[in-house]
Amino acid sequence: MNFYKDHYDVIVIGGALAGLSAALMLADKGKDVLVLERHNLPGGLATSFVRGGVEIEATLHEMMSIGDKGNRLKIGQFFDDMGVDIDWLDVPEAYHASLPGIEVTLHPGFERFAKEIDTAVPGTFRKVLSLMRLCHTVYDSVNELSVHPMSKAKMLLKHEAFVKTAGYSAKEVIDSFGLPQKAVDLLSPYWIYVGNPLSTLPFTIFAVLMADYVGYGSKVPKKLSHEMSLKMAERAEAMGVQIEYRQHVEKILVKDGAACGVRTARGDEIHADYVICSAYPNKVYADMIEPADAVPERAFKVVNGRRIGLTAFTVFLLLDKPAEELGIKDFNVFHGETMDTDEIFRNYLGTGPYNYLTAICLNLANPGCTPEGTCILSITALPRVDGWKKVKAEDVDRVKHETAKSMADAMSEYYGVNLLDHALEVIIETPVTVAHYTGMFNGCIYGYMHDMQDHIVARLQTAEEEKIFSHLEFSGAHQISGNGMGPAVTNGRKAAKNVLDDMEKEAARA
Amino acid sequence: MKIKGFLKDVTGASRVTKARLSAFEAASPVPDRTDPIADAAREWHPGRLDLVVTAVTPTGKTAKTLRLERADGKKLPIFYAGQYLVLDFALDGAVVSRPYSISSAPFEARLQEHPFAEITVRRPKSDGFIADFVNDCVKVGDAFTGLVGCGQFFYEPLRDAKQVVALAGGVGITPFAAMAKEIANGTLDMDLTILYGSVSSDDIVLKEALDAVSCERVRVVHVLSGDEPDWQGERGFLTAELIKKYSAPDTTYFICGPQAMYTFLREELKKLEVPARRVRFEVFGQAKDIAAFEGFPQEVKDKTFSITVRRGIREDVIPAKATESIVTALERAGIRIETGCRSGECGFCRTKVIAGSVFVCPENDGRRAADKDFGYVHACAAYPTSDLTIRIPIL
Repeated sequence: MNFYKDHYDVIVIGGALAGLSAALMLADKGKDVLVLERHNLPGGLATSFVRGGVEIEATLHEMMSIGDKGNRLKIGQFFDDMGVDIDWLDVPEAYHASLPGIEVTLHPGFERFAKEIDTAVPGTFRKVLSLMRLCHTVYDSVNELSVHPMSKAKMLLKHEAFVKTAGYSAKEVIDSFGLPQKAVDLLSPYWIYVGNPLSTLPFTIFAVLMADYVGYGSKVPKKLSHEMSLKMAERAEAMGVQIEYRQHVEKILVKDGAACGVRTARGDEIHADYVICSAYPNKVYADMIEPADAVPERAFKVVNGRRIGLTAFTVFLLLDKPAEELGIKDFNVFHGETMDTDEIFRNYLGTGPYNYLTAICLNLANPGCTPEGTCILSITALPRVDGWKKVKAEDVDRVKHETAKSMADAMSEYYGVNLLDHALEVIIETPVTVAHYTGMFNGCIYGYMHDMQDHIVARLQTAEEEKIFSHLEFSGAHQISGNGMGPAVTNGRKAAKNVLDDMEKEAARA
Repeated sequence: MKIKGFLKDVTGASRVTKARLSAFEAASPVPDRTDPIADAAREWHPGRLDLVVTAVTPTGKTAKTLRLERADGKKLPIFYAGQYLVLDFALDGAVVSRPYSISSAPFEARLQEHPFAEITVRRPKSDGFIADFVNDCVKVGDAFTGLVGCGQFFYEPLRDAKQVVALAGGVGITPFAAMAKEIANGTLDMDLTILYGSVSSDDIVLKEALDAVSCERVRVVHVLSGDEPDWQGERGFLTAELIKKYSAPDTTYFICGPQAMYTFLREELKKLEVPARRVRFEVFGQAKDIAAFEGFPQEVKDKTFSITVRRGIREDVIPAKATESIVTALERAGIRIETGCRSGECGFCRTKVIAGSVFVCPENDGRRAADKDFGYVHACAAYPTSDLTIRIPIL
């Protein structure tokens, strides 16, 4: 007896946020969907792990684009529409910036944010507020244009700010406001959520980040990101999606230029009208397409013409005292030896010590997330893959401990307490860990760099250039919206929409 | 509005679009398959391996050590001293897996010539179906599949005190044998004192191996609880008093041994007021008598239920005793399920209970919070208390 049906409408490779979002949307339209996930859990990086009897959040710092009940932003609205009911908790602040000569806590809400910057750098209120408003205008345009594309002329009329800033880096636009460097530094920390220095980061992306996080604040699921992933998976199954865990897809079957199925490591050959794939196109074109000679040279030019983004290095510390007793006051501290993003980006080429760290104490947004009398602190750097590519397997353990120690020491100095003296558990996540659990190409979690050569506006304009096989869509951080959990959902929905549009077109043709 | 000038501002979108297309044009048409990070991940976690038994050595009067090498002769994965391997036994058409602490050192798994890993299996006093099989039947040349390097029971230098006291009982010495050898090899930076409790000197396993690696940084103290008149060493149980005698002011305790010892040592360590972060227990193991746990519904104790097992679109129905875990029921029925620790910790056997009720062993409930809400269990630690419908991955 078989484990699979003879045929599916769509096979989704990867049961992380993007794949599950695609599956939900397709199931919602009555499509027959199979999701194949290599791990035995849904969610990919949006997951948790248990150590010493305590469940620990694996990656989610804060979820954007949720909004409140009755006033949802786009991801929150999508979950509502799909019947995925997540117990969201508010993140109390935007961030605490701990930079040379700067210790400032900033909160969401444009006016409050601008006032707090003004307190630290007097006389900047109006300029910061108008920059934030520009960000919001661009953000609104991005959201509208991603749903309703329009002609360039019309765009210039209706979305002037979006059009006029599209060709510039974040630095160029911020510089045009003439703010003092200290204020610019206070506006910069979120760069790491997209991982491209401000000098080459499209302003469009900066605007979306700032408008969403600062304008509306962020949230975390009460039962960690596994709650979000599992609820998406459970809802998809309730809508008829078949999800199979521990299934590693090795090949995508192609016939006459169109994807028509997959083969798993177990040896199952499964057929479908469409395939949505979360593996990097680099890996797919180089190793996964069957027959391999169906891949044209153009496919390699398209992937080689893009630059792989960041990976992750995190030290998780489960501590034996509550946050307040350890002097941990902020949910999220961006701790930089510098706020020069180009300099940080260069430092991130190596394996550490890293000069820009993000420390999150989840208990400050989610007080019950660890047992009474304890708290969890995760310290993250988001290096480029280059340095880690040079570390031999035998040396991974030594290098990771040196780097982890430097990160724990840096944050210990900041908090004024030796964190390691309080560690119930120390878990170190390296790019190798990411590669092991997710299979992501070179352990990269950020997809392709959001830079001026791979601008989101250009990605939207040139999507057709990237299309190598029909009936094969990609979803994941390597797609248009890029990295992050909110964008993962958006990328998954976009893949599903492309499939649905194509189905409609083909039905009309027939 | 104006950023740099009208013309430059309004042509931005075209500029970036051209830049992207030019980047594609300028790029190499040759596939770049280099992924050293995935390669490194495979050196640590290659998945199931084909293994061959290359030596079987008795140790003590009650146990045997199996040496395993890869069938292809390659190096075994990198792992930490203290971790375990999972061995799959094909018996009567069914595949049954068991975790064993690796008693050889990590460096031995990476030797240039004949890299190996060893496990030491003791014949239990009762009901040791697999342990008996290993002791009676396994011979040189036998082939198995296995997963090498699992578990969280290892020295973490950023967390643990440099002075470690290991509290070992019976065959629970194995992870410490691995640590001791690795320390003696100069590749593990910690000081280890092993307090090793046995009933009689005949029960001591790996004695020669431990003697061979005793050095300034590795000390082994045998403690006998049985009545052995000629014994010169420590006697009795691993009491607070004895533990204190061998402890430095800041010591991390690693504990591995039979379940009864865990209960005893929890109390003894409490007397010494050891902070929680300085105590590390190896996993509990499959409960010996699940019906003895508080909360187990006694009325179902002798019952056999049926489990409808869903894998993909397939369904099978199998019998299941209330006092045997879902994993055991599946293995008996010849249905494969991935297992690791068999103690509810690793989650390899994560299973959805779609209908019916189960009892989860409270010692072994390592589930995620959201999983509990949606009826997921770790099947090695879950026992049917009614007919069930479950869903497991296809293997």
